[in-house]
Amino acid sequence: MNAATPAHAPAANLAPNRGSAIYAENLSKCYRLYRKPSHRLWDVLFGLKTYQEFWAVRNVYLDIPHGSTVGIIGENGAGKSSLLKLLTGVTTPTSGKVEVVGRVASLLELGAGFHPEFSGAENIRLNCSILGMTSEEIDARFESIVSFSELGDFIHRPVKTYSSGMYVRLGFSVAASVDPDILIIDEALSVGDEHFRGKCTNRINEFREQGKTILFVSHDMGAVKSMCQWVVLMDRGEVLEQGTAEKVADEYLKRAHARGNERLSALNRGSSEYPRWGSGEVEVTGVEMLGPDGVPSHVLRTGEPFTIRLRWKAHQATKNPVFGVGIYRSDGTYVNGSNHHWRDQPLEILDVQAGEEGEVELSADRLALLQGQYYLTTFLYDHSKAAPTAIDHREHVLTFEVLDPKRQQHGMLLLSSRWRVNRRGPGGERRGESPA
Amino acid sequence: MLDLVRSIRRHRRLLRDFVVRDLKGRYIGSSMGFFWSIVFPLINLATYTFVFRLVLNMRWGNQQPGEQVVVMMFLGIVVWSAFAETISRSTNTLVENSNLIQKVVFPSEVLPLYLAVSSWVNMCIGLVFVFGAAFWWGYVNPAEPVEIPLQPGESPFAPFMFGAPLVLLPLLFVLQVTFALGLGYLLAALNLFVRDVFHLIGVALTVWMFSTPIFYPAELVRTKGFGWVLDLNPMAWLIDAYRDVVLFARWPDFALLGRFALFAAVLFALGAAFFQKSKSRFPDLL
Repeated sequence: MNAATPAHAPAANLAPNRGSAIYAENLSKCYRLYRKPSHRLWDVLFGLKTYQEFWAVRNVYLDIPHGSTVGIIGENGAGKSSLLKLLTGVTTPTSGKVEVVGRVASLLELGAGFHPEFSGAENIRLNCSILGMTSEEIDARFESIVSFSELGDFIHRPVKTYSSGMYVRLGFSVAASVDPDILIIDEALSVGDEHFRGKCTNRINEFREQGKTILFVSHDMGAVKSMCQWVVLMDRGEVLEQGTAEKVADEYLKRAHARGNERLSALNRGSSEYPRWGSGEVEVTGVEMLGPDGVPSHVLRTGEPFTIRLRWKAHQATKNPVFGVGIYRSDGTYVNGSNHHWRDQPLEILDVQAGEEGEVELSADRLALLQGQYYLTTFLYDHSKAAPTAIDHREHVLTFEVLDPKRQQHGMLLLSSRWRVNRRGPGGERRGESPA
Repeated sequence: MLDLVRSIRRHRRLLRDFVVRDLKGRYIGSSMGFFWSIVFPLINLATYTFVFRLVLNMRWGNQQPGEQVVVMMFLGIVVWSAFAETISRSTNTLVENSNLIQKVVFPSEVLPLYLAVSSWVNMCIGLVFVFGAAFWWGYVNPAEPVEIPLQPGESPFAPFMFGAPLVLLPLLFVLQVTFALGLGYLLAALNLFVRDVFHLIGVALTVWMFSTPIFYPAELVRTKGFGWVLDLNPMAWLIDAYRDVVLFARWPDFALLGRFALFAAVLFALGAAFFQKSKSRFPDLL
């Protein structure tokens, strides 16, 4: 992307064509934020500009052909939901225009479009009538909607008693059964259980085969990549990039990388809130993580080399200080801990003098952590006694994020594993093996 | 306004669902259901009868017997409650249904209308009881006039009876619903711009109720020199017309009824226009 061809501008050959399911041009939405409710009154009565403008969507250009599956990604607050509301016609644009061809069914948020006091069955009818279906159409589909939702007797209870999973089941059943031309799905689906999610995925695949348009919103790059041919990346209300899934996914990861560094640095500045204790003869003055290029970073990639560097300074003479590092996942799971003393070939730092300073580094060739957020705790203990005592123990000293662009394994740890397949049958014996 | 009518025609099924659902909620949702819609007006009636007849010794013309006065009050309460309920519920209805308005394309013009229709159905149930009482004291067990000489300005005893003026009842229904709906649309939209409307409307309705001759005769207000209050109050004209038509088989004051019709039409046009004009901003205002 360069200045000459901004991603949101229509290319010459991309004029609104007849095959567009969704077409938006210079689409913008501005919300007025009032500091006090009374300010709105002054605005209504006298037109006083007592509000701040907030542009949730800015100059968005979209041209989505019929039958395509499009993913919209972006961080929280990027304007995805505001854009969807504009596309579905719930809100009206402040400027620009949007054209949507065909019946739209949307699953915007948990319980959106449900009346909490109505029962599930009543809400099915309510939603179908809102979508403009006739009584006969509703009656014809009612049974299939109920059975798809698998809600059983709950269908006659008020939806306010539903769990979030049940909301999703009802919402998706309605959206999928009204025979929409365009299906818009927000992240709501992730709440459902494994079984129902499978059913949804099947249904969505059926839609795709029928040549319907699907708009899929998520901040999970992996999910978007697996489902969509075309991806729209949003940030702060603007479309940063749109194109094939591969192209945009790379841009997204790059940005997540930069953004991650920014956000985590801010997080790390506040790390003095975590406990720190010890006798203090030697001080750990700083902790850094270095990526493969040797540059300090708070974002690392799975499978790449990394180094953790501790800077230290001695205030008093110390006989046998030992440095260690503990790695924890953000939920507190202890992933790994080690020091330079407890090894087959221990490394000793003996007779440190007052005023001495230096670094200690821990490095590995492959980072075996999978995508997620982690933090470090550093240990500095005096091992000259039988039971080591703390010199400078710093909890939660640094937070870092691991990105896994390939997403080939799930969980916490990357295993260099091997797969082997054996087949026996009429075709004789066959064997397949993947290298490690 | 044509838009409004067209949209409501298109969504008549939705409207029906909402009305049915609301009535069901009223009559089936609570354990005593249907019973409550009768009990509430009766409790109101008992309270006001106690205050106005027993404590304040209010009379309705010197010759009108107590049982008739109670029925007249009850009719007033039934009509007023339907009106007040439509107004107060409409004011908050957009806020209550924000889940629909903000998240899906929803024809919000259905909301005040369904409240008006639902209140009207409820009123009809009350009216059945009024008719029953009128039949009882008019034909089965006729009420006797109280033998007290008339004061100047008072009308003589009138018996309950049914007659030709009853054909006007549907017209009264239409006028009442139009009036309430116009105000409902106006207040519903206004409440999104200025949320205080919802709080004000409760107080305003109380003041309005007590300045309407529901628990006291209109003549009393006129003889005390407050006739202008009645001349400004369309609900006073409407309730008067209801009493003439339903209880006494009298033709109502057509000049006043005409004025009410004009009022209702203008208010409806205004309210509906304001509602339609601000409708596209509702999702942002909630």
